[in-house]
Amino acid sequence: MATNIAILRRPLDPTGAWAWITTVDHKKIGVLYGLTAFAFFILGGVEALVMRLQLAQADLNVVSAATFNQMFTMHGTTMIFMVVMPAGAAFFNFLVPLQIGARDVAFPRLNALSYWLFLFGSILMNFSFFTGSAPDMGWFAYAPLTAANFSTSSSVDYWILGLQVMGVGTLAAGFNFVITIINMRAPGMTLMRMPVFTWMTLIVSFLIIFAFPVITVAITLLLFDRMFGTNFYDITAGADPLLWQHLFWVFGHPEVYILILPSMGIVSDILPTFSRKPLFGYVTIVLAGAVIAFLGFGVWAHHMFTVGMGRWATSAFAVATMAIAVPTGVKVFNWLGTMYGGSIQFRTPMLFALGFISLFMLGGLSGVMHAVVPVDLHQQDTYFVVAHFHYVLFGGSIFGLTAATYYWFPKITGRMMSESIGKTHFALMFVGFNLTFFPMHFLGVLGMPRRIYTYAPDMGWSGTNMAVTIGAFVIAVSIAVFLYNMVRSARVGQPAGANPWGAATLEWSIESPPHHYNFAIVPTIRSQHPLWDEEANTVEPPPLPYVDESSIHMPSPSYWPLLLAMGVTLVAGSLLVWQAHAIAGLTMGAASGALALISVYRWVFEPAVATEVAEGAAAHH
Amino acid sequence: MYPKQLLGRSGRLVAVGLLVAALLLALSACSSPQTTFDPKSDAADKIQTLYILIIVISGAIGAAVLIAMGYLMAKFRERPGVKARQIHGNNTLEVLWTIGPILILVMIGVPTILAIVGATRAPSEDALHVEVVAHQWWWEVNYPGLGPDGGTLTTANELHVPIGREVAISLKSDDVIHSFWVPQLIGKIDSIPGRTNHLEPFTASEVGVYLGQCAEFCGLAHALMRFRVVVDSLGDFERWVEGMNTPPPAPEEESFLASGQSVFIQNCSSCHAVAGTVAAGRIGPDLSRFGSRLTIGAGIMDNTEENLVEWITNVTAVKPVPEGLPTALAELGNGKQAMPRFDDTLTPAQVEAVAAYLRSMTIE
Repeated sequence: MATNIAILRRPLDPTGAWAWITTVDHKKIGVLYGLTAFAFFILGGVEALVMRLQLAQADLNVVSAATFNQMFTMHGTTMIFMVVMPAGAAFFNFLVPLQIGARDVAFPRLNALSYWLFLFGSILMNFSFFTGSAPDMGWFAYAPLTAANFSTSSSVDYWILGLQVMGVGTLAAGFNFVITIINMRAPGMTLMRMPVFTWMTLIVSFLIIFAFPVITVAITLLLFDRMFGTNFYDITAGADPLLWQHLFWVFGHPEVYILILPSMGIVSDILPTFSRKPLFGYVTIVLAGAVIAFLGFGVWAHHMFTVGMGRWATSAFAVATMAIAVPTGVKVFNWLGTMYGGSIQFRTPMLFALGFISLFMLGGLSGVMHAVVPVDLHQQDTYFVVAHFHYVLFGGSIFGLTAATYYWFPKITGRMMSESIGKTHFALMFVGFNLTFFPMHFLGVLGMPRRIYTYAPDMGWSGTNMAVTIGAFVIAVSIAVFLYNMVRSARVGQPAGANPWGAATLEWSIESPPHHYNFAIVPTIRSQHPLWDEEANTVEPPPLPYVDESSIHMPSPSYWPLLLAMGVTLVAGSLLVWQAHAIAGLTMGAASGALALISVYRWVFEPAVATEVAEGAAAHH
Repeated sequence: MYPKQLLGRSGRLVAVGLLVAALLLALSACSSPQTTFDPKSDAADKIQTLYILIIVISGAIGAAVLIAMGYLMAKFRERPGVKARQIHGNNTLEVLWTIGPILILVMIGVPTILAIVGATRAPSEDALHVEVVAHQWWWEVNYPGLGPDGGTLTTANELHVPIGREVAISLKSDDVIHSFWVPQLIGKIDSIPGRTNHLEPFTASEVGVYLGQCAEFCGLAHALMRFRVVVDSLGDFERWVEGMNTPPPAPEEESFLASGQSVFIQNCSSCHAVAGTVAAGRIGPDLSRFGSRLTIGAGIMDNTEENLVEWITNVTAVKPVPEGLPTALAELGNGKQAMPRFDDTLTPAQVEAVAAYLRSMTIE
């Protein structure tokens, strides 16, 4: 057997760190995603604090212009690709199989590969800090500033290659979750009985599948321009720099919905639980999510109202952008409808969910303001826009993901998070958030552009900037409280039991934390609220006979996803080495390419369930 | 019911309302020379009308939703003995709150499209045409037809335009994408290499100096790519054009200014032009009649003797420049070179002479 004569013996029942490194269990992978995302959240937060120190007053010299440009580029890139997306993926991974009554995702090893590619891609990009060439051209990387003659260091290359590696993992995850949700639902779990979070995961996965190829192509062309002398974005060779902007935003706008829809799903699951009543207009909320995702592909040029597109293109994108407000508004109203007539419990997850609704709604309204093009010609590239998208992505996405953390922490760890610390965290974060981002609207109105590392004292911006900086540090304190709460609760929190919140969805029907096989018996679902209906005895509860755990076949751990991800990342890295030293780069590329190929080969011929386990189970029978 | 607590909650709502009002007051109290809320042109006036419309509409919606949310939180909080009503939805309501926003959006959308169409109109026949070319990190300003013998009048980092006459500004870029923005006069439009963009034609309504700034990230010194628009009376504008087109008087021979001129010609003229002299470099900003400029270095310092000496002596102390300086001339992306520091090639006396020479060329 190939696996047995290998240098690396297949781990059968690893413990400790090996259990995590070789895992293909969606729950462990979910936790890895979550912890990694939180680590990058701290890094991205520190980058934000550096910017806020520099901008606290006029004419400060806390950091240089070059460092400031690196900070805002990496803050944006980090928060989008290394924090909000993987934090969403953490919950997709942990929850989707549990919510649909599956034992794992469709392709467990591919799932592990997605995580490792995300981790290594992130590390590759951040490694640029150690070589002194961190990306410094903005997360939007507009051509031709990214051309080899304008960005002479490797900064853009690190950004491209890191993103490319991450993107492969993200695409794989997108396919994995679409296939999982379509194919692996338990009997009776019809699409219209799925929890809204799973629905939003499905929609986000489709968004990923359609949006990520575009950025993949865009940055591949850019890489070819920079490394091999092609002319896709080269103005002097007759290229149009707007090609990049169209490609980038055809990806970039759906990306916004990739970042926000998971939180919409989270809130749609949390509100009913703490209002003690079903979601108001489930079908409408699901459809609104799908409509938002669909329209999201038709509004990209609203990021480009200042490029001079001509009156009719501009008008069309303005109207399409306004149209997105309709399904978004419907969602907000239906969330309020969910509270109506309820018996609302203000537990910490609910507080963050309510914070999400109010802040996201404000961000949505300022978004409509941007669709009024003449007004946008004032707001574009000012702090007004910074305020807007932080209301959506922090007030929206991050508040939603924080709500999710408080809500599902008991399921993940088996312990409750502290309510009192949680409420302190909420109060600090809500106040800090608004102190940071609300005054940014004023800065925008007062004409302060984005991405400036300094401003003159007579601009009238200093006082407001100081308030913003103070707010940013209040947020930092709230995140420290959050971290403390998680660490403390994981060790000494109250044991949670299966369903501490009295929630309705399937994941709460099993132990906390769940067994590695999730469901001893694959459940049969008879309604949208399996647990509530069982409580009310409107549906016959499923029988729970004794199950012999050893008869449940789960995929065995594997090294190959990790090694393949390592190989792919090193191939990307070898291009950077090649830029500096051709022979060293080629050697490294050949070696890491070989590692990747061997990993693929071994993966392909590795049975999903290790032979020993399968034989053992057969003998057992 | 617990009226006391309800009152407490509405009290909190009132407090929030007061806070918002206070913030709005704070906004009106503090102002900026770059504010978007003090329009001084017909085009900026039109934008502000729409701006106020959209602020009022979205502010009203936002307040209404927050108040409704606060009410629901207060009214339906958990109380002993009261069970949640198991409502699954309401089709009539859901249709209503789909159609309602559509109607509001039509109210916003129609004036938006009308304004977009208006903003892309052709300039009137007697409009003043100005061509602005953005460079890393300064602005070249050309007035076709206003130069000597119907040629082009060129200046940098400061636009002069007359009050009451339509101004049509076209935008180009010499390197990367920039964005031209003077909030009190006009919304921003990008300067894109390989393309020519047009700002909405505008007519300034008040004499004064208006601040502008590059709004699209354009690399290292993006924050320092500032400029001024000087709105002159018609007479002042004509005097300015005439002054720009008159060759500056040659400095008295053997004088301090003459030494400054000669140092300038030897060291600076390959990059900088001064109309009416042999200096005709096009790499850096045109310095004709520099003495009448308000600022140095794309609007980042006042035009004083001391600042100009500091600038020439060591530009890297004032403005971040690409790596390479001061040991070698830093090359910009378009193949041109950034301004070097001169403290290793010129003596302090020579620098002072150049500064004095440049500042001596004013428009009377």
